Amino acid sequence: MRKCKWWMLVLLAAAAAQVSEARIKLVALPDRGDTVIRLDNPAATLIEEERVLTLQKGVNKVDFAWNGVSLDVDSIRLTVLSHPEQVKLLNVSYPPNEQALVWELASPEALEVKARISYLLNGIDRLITYKAVADKEETQVDLKSHLVLRNFSGEDFTSARVLLNYGEAFEQGIQHEETKQLLFMKQDGIPIEKIWTFDAAKKPWDPEKVSGNVGIPVTYKIKNEKESKLGENSLWDGKVRVYQDDGHEGTIFLGEDNTALVPVGEEMEVYVGDSRDLVITQRKMQEKQINIRRNNSNHIVLYDTDEIITAKIENFKDKPAKLLLIQHIPGQWEMEKCSMEYERKDAGTLEFTVELKPQETRELTMHYHRRNVR
Amino acid sequence: MNKFLLFMIVLAACEAQAKVDLVTLPVRDRVQLTIYNSADLTLVRENRALTLVGGLNKLQFSWANTLIDPTSLEMRPLENAGDIDIMALTYPPRTVNLGLWNIKSARGGKVPVEIDYLTSGLSWRAFYMGTLTEDEKTMRLEGYVRATNNSGEDYADAETRLIVGEINLIDQIRMLAQRQYPYDRPSQYPVSPMVMKGLFAGRAGGKELEVLEEAVAYDSFAAEMPETKEIAKEGLSEYFLYTIPGTETIPNGWSKRLPSFDTNGIPVLNLYKYEEERYGKGVLRFLNFKNDTEHKLGETPIPGGMLKVFRTTDEDGHLAYEGQSDFKYIPVNEDVELNLGYVGDVVVEPKLMDYKTDRFSFDSHGNIDGWDEISTWKVEIKNTRDLPVKVEITRNTGMPNWDIERRDSVGKYEKVDLDSMKFTVEPEPRSNVEFTYVLTKHFGRRAE
Repeated sequence: MRKCKWWMLVLLAAAAAQVSEARIKLVALPDRGDTVIRLDNPAATLIEEERVLTLQKGVNKVDFAWNGVSLDVDSIRLTVLSHPEQVKLLNVSYPPNEQALVWELASPEALEVKARISYLLNGIDRLITYKAVADKEETQVDLKSHLVLRNFSGEDFTSARVLLNYGEAFEQGIQHEETKQLLFMKQDGIPIEKIWTFDAAKKPWDPEKVSGNVGIPVTYKIKNEKESKLGENSLWDGKVRVYQDDGHEGTIFLGEDNTALVPVGEEMEVYVGDSRDLVITQRKMQEKQINIRRNNSNHIVLYDTDEIITAKIENFKDKPAKLLLIQHIPGQWEMEKCSMEYERKDAGTLEFTVELKPQETRELTMHYHRRNVR
Repeated sequence: MNKFLLFMIVLAACEAQAKVDLVTLPVRDRVQLTIYNSADLTLVRENRALTLVGGLNKLQFSWANTLIDPTSLEMRPLENAGDIDIMALTYPPRTVNLGLWNIKSARGGKVPVEIDYLTSGLSWRAFYMGTLTEDEKTMRLEGYVRATNNSGEDYADAETRLIVGEINLIDQIRMLAQRQYPYDRPSQYPVSPMVMKGLFAGRAGGKELEVLEEAVAYDSFAAEMPETKEIAKEGLSEYFLYTIPGTETIPNGWSKRLPSFDTNGIPVLNLYKYEEERYGKGVLRFLNFKNDTEHKLGETPIPGGMLKVFRTTDEDGHLAYEGQSDFKYIPVNEDVELNLGYVGDVVVEPKLMDYKTDRFSFDSHGNIDGWDEISTWKVEIKNTRDLPVKVEITRNTGMPNWDIERRDSVGKYEKVDLDSMKFTVEPEPRSNVEFTYVLTKHFGRRAE
């Protein structure tokens, strides 16, 4: 097992050493003072630690070594907090074949200096997990979020201030190879919207012709806004596990999804599972070439199409359902007649919001022309 | 063997010289299993009584040799929740399969808690037996479920529930259970997958004898139960929850079969299908009914599974095996078509009786730029069975520009989509029927 054996701070009196000689490390290791673990950037964790350096008059060499720990060498910074106007950082040098560096600090007199060392440390980070428990009617969820601190950096932190990008900083120690799960956020009664989605470009059109059931993805939508008892901060990305009250003082597990970061005002979408009680059977009933134009050799050079697509939407549930039906028509097109209202999301995408009553069957007919097909 | 162990270490709050007691918790007061069939996943809910002291309590638990997902562990007090703060769950360094709950309690004494977690290794599936009457007009349908426990953990006297439904799962629970560190390590480090060599290592030799003894006890317990259990079914979200009344004991390595439903006298239709492009030149037999009240069903969806169909052959109840069908989930009120495979006693034979081309058109160079193809088809259907049957014949044209002219009014005709049509006929027992149609396909300029 790897034992962390790093953080040797060595002070060398200016006159005492020749750099070209074997490096003699005079250990005068001051205790680590206030330490901050900053987890606001998911890409890297910033550590800031304060130490008191006892400087002699003249040039001081401060040796900083990190054996057994992976840190980003180019991110190491030394900030002199007390007497910054007097103490000057002259240069930084890196001894060969060592995980170390040497700062040269010039001091006009013997001083006790408070300094802050900061660096990006690998192997320490945080995860966010969510647990949502929906009510039986699926109108709202009780949401809990946990912060999971993982430390595999090689370094033990007996106590540190842990900072996220919002909320209060808190004191927490974490050992090397330790994982801690802390309750981070809890909010009950957050309204949700449940949506079923059928995308005609992704799902088979005729369920009878596939061996398994065609699952219709079911999504919970949670708005990160004040009206939803949220909206204070972004919701971080992480795994969301969704449970539901089973009406017998227990829960069932509905499913899980990874959510992206949800800024304030945006929606969290959690794909929970598939419904097999909504069945969509889509068929192309007509595809004809019309308005055909030919060149002098009598080859077709341009035409329009006359196409009819039907979709039978069956709700076998004894509850209503809101289906988002997505259709695609490529190229230049115009609708001749459509039995349902739609929203044109982009040039080739049509979205139908279909409200289905319990046990209801509805039929969509799209009669359209693609224009100027070459 | 209960491998999910909980110990409690009671620490007097905030003292450097903490008084440490290691307490083995009493057995589970209650355990409930909710087993899924679309994924290798079971939700376990246990009730236990903790004895807490006022102040800080540490509860240590371990799950070695089980398939529990440690990231799913959650504990909540069932009483005095306001006084009990579950502060953190820690997975201490340089340990495996071990966690520590930090609990701050404003009072001492017994506290009932619920512990939830997800585990892998338990599964269930549905299967069915159908028995047709001699005249094949009705069928008795018996549904069964079979639950299997390979979780590494024995669950005695567990309330057992089964979920029918397709859940979305990001990570396999088995993989999460076998991780060296519950939440893995940050991604800068290459992660070496831990091989759980110790998993179920104790199963060989003497352990098997132990399991067998438990099984005998379980069998004698079952023999004392005169009633057959009836599974309660209810819909939740997009899923169905089957609750087996009472409790079940399913030791590790064992499975258990339970009846799910038994419905007699379901009216069925013998449906035969012919579609050359899909099934080849053979005729497939389907049993057709509907999952509705008219068919004495329709209370709940029917989970997918294998159905073996038998037929009663005489008054003594001797059976003949008719075939089997692996069917998918059937919602309430949905039509059911159970594919029993190819048959030889119903024959469909389409014959091309006449073929010609006509209505040629020519471009300015005198080349052909359009024509019609006219085919006359006679379709013969032979029902050699002594039962009436329904036969669906689907014909595909392979192109969208066509017309059909029927030469008779035998059966029913329906245009399915732009390049297919369906004829439905219902021949009497031991009879032949035929119908004729003329298909005209338009090519080139004639398609315009």
